[in-house]
Amino acid sequence: MLIGIDVGGTTTDAVVVDGNAVVKTAYVPTDHDNLLNCMLMALDELVRGIDTKKIERVVLSTTLITNMIAEGKTDPVALVLIPGPGTNPKDYALGESIVLDGAIDFRGKEIDALREPQIKEAASKIRAQGKSRVAVVGKFCQRNHSHELKAGEILASALPGSRIELGHRVSGQLNFPRRAATTLLTAATKDRYAQFAADMARALKERRISAPVYILKADGGTLPLDKSVEMPVETIFSGPAASIMGVMALTEPSQTSVVVDIGGTTTDLALILSGKPLLSAKGARVGSLLTHVRAFAVKSVAIGGDSAVTVNGGSLAVGPHRDGSPLCMGGRGPTPTDALRVLGMSKIGDAVLAERAMQMVADMLGCNSKQAAQKVVDAVVDKIVLEVNEMFQEWEQEPAYRIWEIMSKEAISAQNVVGVGGGAPPLVPLVAARLGATAVVPKYAPVANAIGAAVARPTLTLNLHIDTEKGEYNVAEEGISGRVTDRKMTPDDAERMARRLLAERAARLGISEYASEAEVTYSEVFNMIRGWSTAGRLLDVRMEIPAGLLASWGRC
Amino acid sequence: MSSKNKSGKTGLIFFPAFDWAISPTHPEREERLLYTRDQIFEEGLMDLPSIEEYKPRLAEKKDIARVHFCVPDVESQVTEAHLIAAGSTLTLADALEKGEIRNGFALVRPPGHHSMRVVHGNRGFCNINNMAIMVEYLRTKYGHKKIAVIDTDVHHGDGTQEIFWHDPDVLCISFHQDGHTLYPGSGFVNEMGGPQALARTLNIPLPPGTTDEGIHYVLDNLIMPVLDEFKPDLILNSAGQDNHYTDPLANMRVSANGYARLNEKLAPDLCVLEGGYAVETALPYVNTGIIQAMAGLDYSHVREPDFVPGRFVQSEEMKREIAHTVSQVQKIWEQRDDLVEEALEGLGDFYRRKRRVFYDTDMINENQEEVVRLCPDCAGYMTINTSAQRGYGILNSAFCVTIPRGACSSCRDDAKEEYAEHLDDRRIGYVLMQDKDKDKFKFYNNMTRTEKGY
Repeated sequence: MLIGIDVGGTTTDAVVVDGNAVVKTAYVPTDHDNLLNCMLMALDELVRGIDTKKIERVVLSTTLITNMIAEGKTDPVALVLIPGPGTNPKDYALGESIVLDGAIDFRGKEIDALREPQIKEAASKIRAQGKSRVAVVGKFCQRNHSHELKAGEILASALPGSRIELGHRVSGQLNFPRRAATTLLTAATKDRYAQFAADMARALKERRISAPVYILKADGGTLPLDKSVEMPVETIFSGPAASIMGVMALTEPSQTSVVVDIGGTTTDLALILSGKPLLSAKGARVGSLLTHVRAFAVKSVAIGGDSAVTVNGGSLAVGPHRDGSPLCMGGRGPTPTDALRVLGMSKIGDAVLAERAMQMVADMLGCNSKQAAQKVVDAVVDKIVLEVNEMFQEWEQEPAYRIWEIMSKEAISAQNVVGVGGGAPPLVPLVAARLGATAVVPKYAPVANAIGAAVARPTLTLNLHIDTEKGEYNVAEEGISGRVTDRKMTPDDAERMARRLLAERAARLGISEYASEAEVTYSEVFNMIRGWSTAGRLLDVRMEIPAGLLASWGRC
Repeated sequence: MSSKNKSGKTGLIFFPAFDWAISPTHPEREERLLYTRDQIFEEGLMDLPSIEEYKPRLAEKKDIARVHFCVPDVESQVTEAHLIAAGSTLTLADALEKGEIRNGFALVRPPGHHSMRVVHGNRGFCNINNMAIMVEYLRTKYGHKKIAVIDTDVHHGDGTQEIFWHDPDVLCISFHQDGHTLYPGSGFVNEMGGPQALARTLNIPLPPGTTDEGIHYVLDNLIMPVLDEFKPDLILNSAGQDNHYTDPLANMRVSANGYARLNEKLAPDLCVLEGGYAVETALPYVNTGIIQAMAGLDYSHVREPDFVPGRFVQSEEMKREIAHTVSQVQKIWEQRDDLVEEALEGLGDFYRRKRRVFYDTDMINENQEEVVRLCPDCAGYMTINTSAQRGYGILNSAFCVTIPRGACSSCRDDAKEEYAEHLDDRRIGYVLMQDKDKDKFKFYNNMTRTEKGY
């Protein structure tokens, strides 16, 4: 038996899955001030009458980190940058930072040395600010860790008891400001997250649940709770990830689907292309910060069942704001929920009040209430269709750097429109019809998120960089570097090496059994020509265990 | 209209063609923009709110035919990489015209500025002229009249010069290392354009070793004042980066900061990458600096690892030489109207010239005879009789006719007659016609007696 718990905006849902059957569901209202408690309440309700020994796995999808950052309840962090030549650090929207001398270039060569006295000065400054958490991030330090290690060491000895976070351990990908932001957020959330993880582990032990506990990440993958404390930021936006994994679990494999999650004030859109959820091309945006966190491409549109319907100068607008509940549910003004009630497309709310709401709109538009309701529904569908088309277009317009990428990218369209969330059932067929796709509202749509969490498998990424002229390789996230002797290493050799290193990383993270699922998602090789002969090769391989479902889950 | 007065984003297309090379060890190879990619991606430039990244598109064959007489046809002279590099410039041109961006930089390869009007193969690493293709696209689609192309590559922009040689509405200014010392061996002060367009081609040959100071002297004392007087609709930069002090194929002493400052001053509406082959020591820094300058960001933190300000100093003699060249070109510019008048007085109804063109990359020798009608009512139609031999191999020949924009009816009729007369003439391989007014382009194969058009 598998357990999935998803903390949503209004309710926290939990589900028990056995084989490919949903055995039991439970709901509790979300208590944003005590997420741990509300997850445990949902769990307690769920396992009542169930033999906890039969539980094989528990997966949590929580808004803990999202809320922590949104509410500013994070720990203060001193950001120390080693930017080297290039952009003026002030042009990065990273907030206050301390800038050190020293520089590494794109090949991982030291251009300028660190200055120790300057680092010690930085330490006194941090001490004076009373900060005990420090993020140290250098440009190109993923290609040569020495500056971050050295600066980190000096800061650690000058600031006893402080927690130092190094950029290269957070991401091996290019993009220094994103690495700095991700490192900053990691340092700011790590302690509180670790506290949560410990409390959760203790609570489960008290309940005699000994099954392994996982946390869901923004890329739809799971990670053991105890290992996730190294990378708390990756658990952000797990809600949309859970819902996409849920849709994967509840629909036919290998198809192209639009996931439409229609809520009260927002509609979340996501794409599953030929059975693979679309990841955003770059990392997630967290508040004002751009990060390296891999996340599904989710577009939030400010329209939903509770959006305010207004008429201005004869033209109808739905949203983007909310003005209380729908009138049919005791609110003040007309909403799409009222319109759906009037058209008989839903049974939610009071029919008389809904009629009154639409009559208000009709009076301003000079038509009858049914026509007004139709117009409101059309406006919502128009908006969603527009945004879906834009999403496909954006995907097609993603920059490409090779001829084959440009030549092989074909326009695609949706086969299915899959609805989840409360507002989905009446609206999804209308959206699907406009897109020429099939409408799917799965039977378990209301608990799709919890199911997604329950059956999601682990994901893992590894970036291997090899420079055969220098005779070096490194895996930044692992802090590993070493020697290579073969100057003529081929991409196949590099991929074999990546696979081995990924297996080791998977073992360390306790997800060994999925290492064989890893795929090469990026591989490049460049001959370095100096003069007229080959001096060496640069190879980069990214290997990933992609988002997917547990083998035990036979799709419904 | 200069971008100085506009607001908005800087459009960027980065197309490094990581799967295309002239040959594995050629300077124009896959690795060329690799470290530039590393640097600009690591800088996070694409994430900055002042920069918008665009996806390249393929240029259409018609976009190529609008500029080039490709012999025998467009398909046989271009690969997908060329179409994408050229198409990238058009994507940015559209974005600029739609007002989505205030300026743009097509950071693309392969380059183009050595490609001339007639194309038999690759010369100077170029098959088709991305810049000229963008200029003609901007004029045809958006009706721009006056355009200035500033070629800041270390090599003379001989292809672009040749394409706009007779066109008084396209001002071509190229500064470069003296042709006595560097490929393509041209670009001297006395190359000033055809009789109707004299002084609308300006060449500033500079001595080897010219520094930031030297090129900024040329900008301040010549290029900027000339642009003020010419008042172009658009300023375009053929942005080669091989004036850099580490370039392996040239001998100048310009720094990344010098290049960035150049772009800040020139404030081009659109930039197109040309050459630059110091793949590790120059390109990552120069490109970062140019992007920052165009986006109005601080570029003072861009510095090559081995650069110290004041590292390169020009000798007094070099300064005098540059000042002398600049004053010569200033005079040519000031006398432009008189030069045209005088030249036309001494000529009859037609202007003829014979030229030889060498394609270094493909080892092709081409002979051309060009004839332009000096028409009082329009720019005059033009014909080019070309034959080219690759090594000791086959001889390709073509007769090319251009009907200019705004052609008078007599030029139009005569041009069509010239085309018709050469059809099925077995001494000539192909007959090509550009009708720039109607934006129609024809290719006729005299051997197979088949015509196709774009």
